[in-house]
Amino acid sequence: MARTEPNTMRSALVLKKVPRQSPVLDAPGAASITGKLNDFAWICALYELGQTAAAGVDPLKVQQDILKHIVSGLDAESGSIALIVEGTDDLLEIVAGTDLPPGTVGSRLPRGVGVFGHVVATGQPLLINGDAAETRLPVQINERRDRATHSAMCWPLRVQERTIGALAVNRAAGLPKYSVEDLDRGQVLTSLLALVMANHRMHVERENRILELSTLNDAMQRMNALLEDAQNQLIQSEKLASIGQIAAGVAHEINNPVGFVLSNLGALESYVGSLFALAEAADAAGARSTGEPSPEGVSPGQALRDGTDIEFLRTDIAALLAESRDGLGRVKAIVQDLKNFSRGGADESWELVDLHAALESTLNIVRNEIKYKARIETRYGALPEVECLPSRLNQVFLNLLVNAGQAIEANGRLLIETGVEGTEAWIAVEDTGCGIPKEHLNRIFEPFFTTKPVGQGTGLGLSLSYSIVRKHGGRIDVDTEVGRGTRFTVRLPLRQPRAAVPATSV
Amino acid sequence: MADLLIVDDEPNVLNALRRMCMNRTATPAIPDPHVATFAAPLEALAYMRTNRVDLVISDYRMPEMDGASFLTKAKMLQPDAARMILSAFSDMEGIVRAINDAGIFRFVAKPWGDTELRASIVQVLEHRDMMLENRRLADEVRQQQDIISRQQLELVRLEAESPGITRVRWTPDGGVLIEE
Repeated sequence: MARTEPNTMRSALVLKKVPRQSPVLDAPGAASITGKLNDFAWICALYELGQTAAAGVDPLKVQQDILKHIVSGLDAESGSIALIVEGTDDLLEIVAGTDLPPGTVGSRLPRGVGVFGHVVATGQPLLINGDAAETRLPVQINERRDRATHSAMCWPLRVQERTIGALAVNRAAGLPKYSVEDLDRGQVLTSLLALVMANHRMHVERENRILELSTLNDAMQRMNALLEDAQNQLIQSEKLASIGQIAAGVAHEINNPVGFVLSNLGALESYVGSLFALAEAADAAGARSTGEPSPEGVSPGQALRDGTDIEFLRTDIAALLAESRDGLGRVKAIVQDLKNFSRGGADESWELVDLHAALESTLNIVRNEIKYKARIETRYGALPEVECLPSRLNQVFLNLLVNAGQAIEANGRLLIETGVEGTEAWIAVEDTGCGIPKEHLNRIFEPFFTTKPVGQGTGLGLSLSYSIVRKHGGRIDVDTEVGRGTRFTVRLPLRQPRAAVPATSV
Repeated sequence: MADLLIVDDEPNVLNALRRMCMNRTATPAIPDPHVATFAAPLEALAYMRTNRVDLVISDYRMPEMDGASFLTKAKMLQPDAARMILSAFSDMEGIVRAINDAGIFRFVAKPWGDTELRASIVQVLEHRDMMLENRRLADEVRQQQDIISRQQLELVRLEAESPGITRVRWTPDGGVLIEE
C-alpha cells in the first residue's frame, strides 16, 4: 500500500475507524471545507467532468481530472483513486493520483491490505488523523518524515450496493485536520464520483458492445456476400452440369442438320456441274446449228438433256435448298436457345418475359433427351408477361423437364401446362414416369439429395430451382404417385412487390 | 447393282443420303446404287422380309427402337446384308451392343463427310462381296468334294434369291406364314 501510495499514507498517522455517525474526534483543529463544497460552480464543474466521462474521452484522463477537481475541492494536498479490476472481487488498480511517482497509475495493489484494501473490504469510510503506527490496520508505512501526512480521508466508491473502488485524499502537516463532517460531505461527493465512474464504465462497455456488434455485423455482411457469391456460383455450376446432361441431345440436334446440309452442298455441287456441262453443250450446239433443230428434229442439247434428267434436277434442287435452309434454321435456333439459357449471371436484371417463349426455348434444348421416350404435349393458357429473371427461370424449367424425361423409361407422355390464377402464373410439368416414393418426397428439395446414378444428377437441381422460385416470391408444388407419374407446379407472382417496373424494361 | 437400305427418323437426312449415294460423278461412286429409305425401323424390317438388301445403314437414336436393336433384327432377317451405323449420338453401351450383337461393319459419326461416307460404303460393299465370294468358292470346293448335298446347295441358292424362303413357317392347319 505505502509503496504504491506514498502520498496517501505518510508516516505518523493516527488511524481511526470512523463509523458514519461517529462523534468528531478532533474537530477543533478542522477547518471547514463547506464553503468550497457549497460552491455551485465547483459542483457544476464536477458534473461536467462526469459528462465528459460519459462521452467516452480517455477514461484515465477523465479520472485524473475528476480527482484533481476533488483534491482541490477538499483543499487536499494530494489524492488517489483505486478501482476494483473488472472480473475480480478485491484486486485494486490505481487509476488516478496526484503527486505520485511515475508508473504508479495502472499498478495493482496487494489484495486486502492498506487503507484502500480495508475501505473496500469493509465498505466504510475512514478518517485518519495523527500517527498511523497506532492503527491496527495492516498498513506498511513509507517513512517520509519531511512531509508527514497529517490528516487523510478514504471513501469506498459504491454503486448500487457494489463497491467498485475507493478514493483517498491527504493533507500534510500544517494544514488543518479533516473532520467527521468533512468525511460525511466527502461521502456525498464520492457517491457522485462513483456514479460518474459507473456511468463511464457502462458507456465504455456499451461502446465496446456496439463496436463488437458492428464488427459482427460487418462479418455477417461479408459472410452473406460470400454466401450469395457461393450460391450464384453454385447455380452457374449446376447450370453447366445440366448442360452436360443434355449435351448429347444438343449435339445430336446440331450434328443432324449440319450433316445433311453439308451433304446437300456436295450434291448441289455435282448438280451444278451437270447444269454447267449442259449449258456448255447447249452453247456449243447453238454455235454449230444456230439453234435450228436438225432435220431429225433433235438438237444435241436435247440429247444431253435426256441424259441429265433436267426434270429431276429442277425438283431436287428446290427440295435440297428448302431442306438445307430448314436445317440451318434449326441449328441457328438451338444455338440461340443455348445462348438464352446460359446467359445471365449474378447481375441479371428483372424483365417482363413471355414464359411460353422461355418454355419453348428450353424445351428445344431438351427435346432430344425426351422425344425418343415420351410424347411432348403443351397446353398453354393465356399468360401475361411475368416479371422474372429469365435465365434463372429457364434453369428451373430445364431442371423440371430433364427430371421428367429421366423419370420416363419409355413410351411416356410429358405435359406442359400453363395458366393464371389471380395474381399468380402457374407452370406445370407433368410426366408419366416412375413417381417419387413417399420416403423421398420430403427430401427432394434438399441440396445434394439425388436418387440418380452417378453422373446423371448433381442433387442440386431441385434445391436450386426451389431457391430460384423463392427468390421470385413463388413456390413449387409436387403431386406424385409411384408408378403413375409426377406433376411439378411452379407458381410465380405476375409482378415483383418492389417498385413498379416500367414497361420500357422489357 | 448395290441395294442400300437407309433408316433415319429425320427425312432430311434420308434425302441427303439418297442424293449422296446416287451421285455418280463423285469419286468413289457407289456402283449402280439402288436406295430404299425409311423413317421408321419397323417399316424397314417389313421391307427386308421381302427384298434383298446388300447394305443397311441406320441411325442410332430413333423413336421405335435404337439402331443396335434394329440392326440385330435386320441381321436375323438377312445375315448377309452388311450393316453400318450413322449417328450423331451413342452411349458406350449402345456402341458395344451395335458391335457385339448387331455385328456392324462401320460406325460413322454425324455430321458425316460425303467422300468418307461413300468410301466407307464402297469398302463395306467390297468387303461383303469378298466374303460372299469366299463362301461361294468354299461351297464350290465342298461341292466338288461332295461334302454338301445338292439339296443344301439348292437351299443356299434359294435363300440368296428370296430371303426367308428356306425358313417357311407352317400354321397348324397347313397354311404358310409369310409375316412374323
